[in-house]
This record gives sequence, structure tokens and C-alpha cells, in this order.
Amino acid sequence: MPVRAIRQRALGLAWVAPALALVVVFVYLPLVQNFQFSTLKWDIYSGTQEYVGLDNYRKLVDDPVFWSSLGNNVLYAVVSIVFQVFGALLLAALIEGVRSERWQRGLRAVYFIPSAISMTVAGLLFYFIYEPNLGPLNHLLRAIGLDGLAQAWLGQESTAMSAIIAMSQWQGFGYSTLLFAVAIQRIPREIYGAAAIDGTGPVRRFFHVTVPLVREMTGLMMMVTVSGAFQVFNEVMVMTSGGPDNSSQVLGTWLYRSGFVRNNFGYAAAIATVIFVITLGIAVGQMWVTRRRRVEW
Amino acid sequence: MRPRAMTSFAALLGTLALAGCSGGGDGAAKAPAADLSATPDFSGTLSVLTKFAGDPLQPYFEDLAAAYQKKHPGVKVELIQETDQSVKDKTKTLTASDALPDVFFTWSGNWAENFVRGGRAADLSKVIGPGTEWGGTFSPGSLSAFAYDGKYYGIPLYGNGKFMGYNKTAFDKAGVKVPGTFEELVGSCAALRKAGYEPIAFGNKDGWPALHYLQQLFAYDVPADVLQADFSPKTAKLDNPGYVTALNRFKTLVDTCTDTGKGTNGVLYSSAQQAFHDGKAAMYYQEVLEFDNATDKNGLKADDFGIFQLPVPQNAAGDPKTIEGAPEGYLINARSPRAALAVDFMKFVTSTQNARTLSAPPYGQPSTVVGAVTAETSSKAVYEGMEQVNKAPRLAAWLDTVTVPEVADAWLAGGEALISGGSTPDKVLASVREASESAK
Repeated sequence: MPVRAIRQRALGLAWVAPALALVVVFVYLPLVQNFQFSTLKWDIYSGTQEYVGLDNYRKLVDDPVFWSSLGNNVLYAVVSIVFQVFGALLLAALIEGVRSERWQRGLRAVYFIPSAISMTVAGLLFYFIYEPNLGPLNHLLRAIGLDGLAQAWLGQESTAMSAIIAMSQWQGFGYSTLLFAVAIQRIPREIYGAAAIDGTGPVRRFFHVTVPLVREMTGLMMMVTVSGAFQVFNEVMVMTSGGPDNSSQVLGTWLYRSGFVRNNFGYAAAIATVIFVITLGIAVGQMWVTRRRRVEW
Repeated sequence: MRPRAMTSFAALLGTLALAGCSGGGDGAAKAPAADLSATPDFSGTLSVLTKFAGDPLQPYFEDLAAAYQKKHPGVKVELIQETDQSVKDKTKTLTASDALPDVFFTWSGNWAENFVRGGRAADLSKVIGPGTEWGGTFSPGSLSAFAYDGKYYGIPLYGNGKFMGYNKTAFDKAGVKVPGTFEELVGSCAALRKAGYEPIAFGNKDGWPALHYLQQLFAYDVPADVLQADFSPKTAKLDNPGYVTALNRFKTLVDTCTDTGKGTNGVLYSSAQQAFHDGKAAMYYQEVLEFDNATDKNGLKADDFGIFQLPVPQNAAGDPKTIEGAPEGYLINARSPRAALAVDFMKFVTSTQNARTLSAPPYGQPSTVVGAVTAETSSKAVYEGMEQVNKAPRLAAWLDTVTVPEVADAWLAGGEALISGGSTPDKVLASVREASESAK
């Protein structure tokens, strides 16, 4: 290899080296360290660390709260796909179908506003909406004669997780809608024009033009939504802390509770490893699928 | 779903990793002992982690720090003020990353014991133990709460106890007298409800308020020696029938005397406190530390506020004189290079004058310093509560700090399940037994 080429490569490497070092130190090293911790029984008070091999992973298998947390994450993912992917796509198509541009802009803003609120603030807001005595939701139900439905939404095992998921959909729905709206705007208008000349109605145009041509965005949203569903933390912490009786625990909050409340940091690290493996698997799978479905025009 | 979730997860993972950065096999137990006998060097920064964030407590340490800095211009007191909830996470993160401040807050019981066992709390026996000048200023019981294996580690700042606060007007309107037994308490709830009051305001969103009821009922229904042995997983059996009896009593109280019933887990502790303050609820189970916040000119008046110990059930097998409560205090970092300065600062904090200020409104934290809580300096309720606490032959420390965290967490989940009807007393006890077994 000529000296000049070698020099150029070295220069290129020198340019990326600082960024690479940062990624290694702040992303990959903690991942490796986390796996290390998951093989330890670690007493934070005395600082002693005892190697226990895969005991923490065996404990995971027998832990009912771990499985119910995983189940809650799956439920979260399924509901999020329905609302934040398919529901958002449908809504985006409806908004983009509105003739007036002013209305389009207005509607986009209306749906996007909840996404501009931080999840912690939204969680607190909904905590008060759900409050059994003073919350507006129960007041509304009573006002319209549905007293029987008024209940402690976050205080019962049967409703706590659903109430959190509902809030999360409200908060995230607008963001997905906006992304789909952008994807729809990128579709050449001529295709819709040709479809209209062929006599297709709006429903067929949606299924045969819009859906196929935004599939790249759909794939991306699926990936982000599902992997995000396995990293849920803030909303659960703010609204229920995983209670009552651990019924609304998700993997993230169970990790936190195991480490910072139950002093079992090795076990918490094992949960973190499981979350990492799940999200990595989802990301790789989705990237593979979307790569094969690239839309070009 | 958005990338913010990834950020949260990365932050959590990062915290775990950060917490582990200092992890080594050596441990803090081998740390050099803090030199308490040295003459304090009045220079540099002294870090102090408190549990006094927010109103009305925040200014207490701020004022003390300012006064101490004025007295010793070379010293800068760096305050890290946390709330009751956040101080737990903060302390654990600082412990795991070997970054504990020079002075830090502690509960008594297993919470403090962990720092002693790990070699992170300085042995203060020579400066605060019985027979020492400084030690002589504290009530002996409060010092003993932080003693382990005959050594004294803690600086008790204030005492505490749990009592049922009641609205005297509500009781008069309902024709109810202060109940003498637990059965009478439950029996009075119908009359109070008829008079237009929620009999007992109760918010268990955070889980621990239920543990306060449970611990007092356990003290009544389980013999003291059995209860003590059951706190430690090594000796625990958790098979005394008194536990199930107490859990049943608790369930009866929630179902009969609260308006929220099964939904109590959805109510904030502070919302319940507000309902009592606003005169909507007739009773509210609270700590002495809260007494001065229960009343004001806009809500329940001080003259209308009374307290009584949670009444003892008939034929209870435990100790009827035990009151739930424990002093809270501070530890000095065994590795602190400024340990002598830290002792001097804490002597300043616990001087008679400062102890009286702490015990008086608006702080209302009854100091453990002898003579600080008087009928003149403290509110009537605080004075009366501390009189009862000091007379009690035995205190039952908080259930979430007296036992190991895994067991405490099982009690917490069990309390929530009992309230919502998701579990039975037998099942709750079985789950706690399992947690205790696993923590051995």
C-alpha cells in the first residue's frame, strides 16, 4: 500500500478515534461491566464481591415477579404497536387527506403537543387524573352515571398496568403520527393522482398506496416502539413504583427495585443483561427485515 | 415510543455501572479508622447528607451551616439535602461508589447496621458513649438505638413515634370517645361516617404507610422475643399465629374505617394527611414529626388536635406497652479525613439551643437532647407524644428499616396485596417467610 494511502487511513482513524474511545468507554465498557456484575453477589456496604457464576440468572428463572414484569413489557409492546404504529399511521393518513393545509398543520400540532410533555410530568398529571377521590376521571364517570366504573385505577392489581399503558399511548401517539405524516408527505403526489384516475377510493388508496410506500417508516417505528417497550421506566416509577403487590412492575423497575431497594445489585445486573439481549435481538431482527423492504422511487 | 426510553435505560445501566466502579474485593471494612480524638482542623469542606429537603425543614441545616461557617470562617459546609424517599437511593449510590459524605443521615435498625457491618460508620463510643460529656446530653434510649456489639455509632438527632391523630370536634359530633381497645376503634367508625367524616384517612401509594400499622399490630399480637428473632433471617421462623391475627385486624381496619378501602393503594400519603388537615377525616395515623404540620390556622386547629396510641386489641399476645417508633440520626464516615471536624459540627448541631430550635415549630422534630422538648418550647401534641415515647418500655422500630431489605420489601408488597384484596394473610406471611429464607 502506498505511503500516502496509509497516511490517509491513519489520518481517518485519528479523526474517528476520540468518538470511538467515547463509545467504547461509555457504551461498550458498561455493558461488559454489567455482565461481570451479574455474576457477582455484591455487598455495597462492605464492598465485598463474591463470584456466584450464573446463580443470578437461575434465580431469574424462578422469580415470579421477573416473569410478570416481562409479561407487562410484552403487553406494553403489543398495545404500543396497535396504537403508536398502526393507529398513528391511520391518523397520519387522515390528517394528510385533509384538503386545507392550515387544518393539517393545526391537527399535527394538536396531536403532537402531548409528546412535548416530559414523561415524568405526564405521569404525575395522570396520577392526579386517576386519583380515586379527587381525580377528574372518577368525577366524570360519576357525573355521567357510571359510578360503578369509578375505581382506584392505579391502586388495584387489575387496572394499574392498563392505566399506565393508556397514559403512555396518549403521550407517544402524536410523535408517531408526526413521523408517519412526514413519510406520507414524501410519497409522490402523482402516484395518488394515478390511483384516483384508476377509480380507487380513499380506503383502497390507503391500503394499496400509502401502507406499502411507508413500510420503511412502519418497520422503523415497530423497532423503536418494541425496543422502547422493553425499556419502560419513568412512567411506572412515577405512577405506581411497580405496585400494588408488584403488579405493574416492568423489567426496568424490577431491576431498579432489586438493586436500590433490595440491595441485590448482582441480580439487578442480571435483569439488565436480559433487557439488553431482548432489545438487541429486536433491533437486529427489525434491521434485517427493513433492509429487505427498502422503498425506492 | 421514543428514544427517551433508551436514554432512561442507559442512565439506569450507567448508574449500576457507576455504582460498581469502585467495587473491589478489599471492601470498606479495611478502611483506616477515623481519628476522632484529633484536634479539628477548621479548614476545608465538610460534606453533610441530610433528610431535610423541602419545606419546612430545609432551612434548619442551612441556618446551622451558615452559623458554623461564621464561627469557623475556614470551613465550608456542603449540604446535600434529600427527602425521606430520595435519601435512600442517594445513600446507596454514594455507598456503592465509595463517595459517602463526611456526615450522613441514617435510620436506626438494619439500615444503620449495614454501614456498621461494612466498616463505613465511625465508632463514636469514645466521644458519644455513656459516661462521655457529649453522650450525657442525649437520652440513653436514643443512643442505644445506634449501638451495635456494645459500641456507639450514631448521633441521634430526633426521636419519633407513631400515634393516631384525631379531630376532637369530629369525635364530639359523632359522640365518640377516644377508643380504649382496637375493637372500640373499629366500632367507632360507623358513627364517625354517619357524622359526615371519613373515619380514618389512609394513603398507601408508597407502600410503607401500611407497614407502620402492621408493625404496631405485630408488637401487640406477637410476643416481643419472637418478633425480635423474626427480624433477622438467620433466626426467623415467622410462624407465630399472631402475625395472621394482626394482618386480619389490619384488613378489618382498612375495610371498615377508610372510605378508600381496596383503593387505598392509589392514594398518596400526603393526600390523606391533607384530608385530615382539612377536617374531612376524623383520624389519621401519623408520626410525631408530622404533628406540627397537621394543624394550622387554615385547617384543623391545634386545640382540636388530639393523639392516642393505636389501641391494643383485646387478648393480644404481645406487648401492649410497645410504641412503634425509633430515633433518627447521623453517622460519621469512617473514612473521612475530617472526622474530628465532623464530630465538632455535630456537637454544634446538637447543642441545647439548636436542639430546642429543632423541637419547636415550624420544624417540630423532637430532639433527643435531654431538656430540648419542653411544654414551653414544643407544641402540646409533640410534647405529649414524646412523653409517651419516652415512657414506653420498648420501641418497635419501623418495619421497613428494622429487617433486611428483601424481607421488608416482601412485607411492603404483602401490605398492598392485603389492602387490594389480592392476597390473604396466610399467603402474605408465606411470601415473607420465603423472602426471609432467601435472604439467609
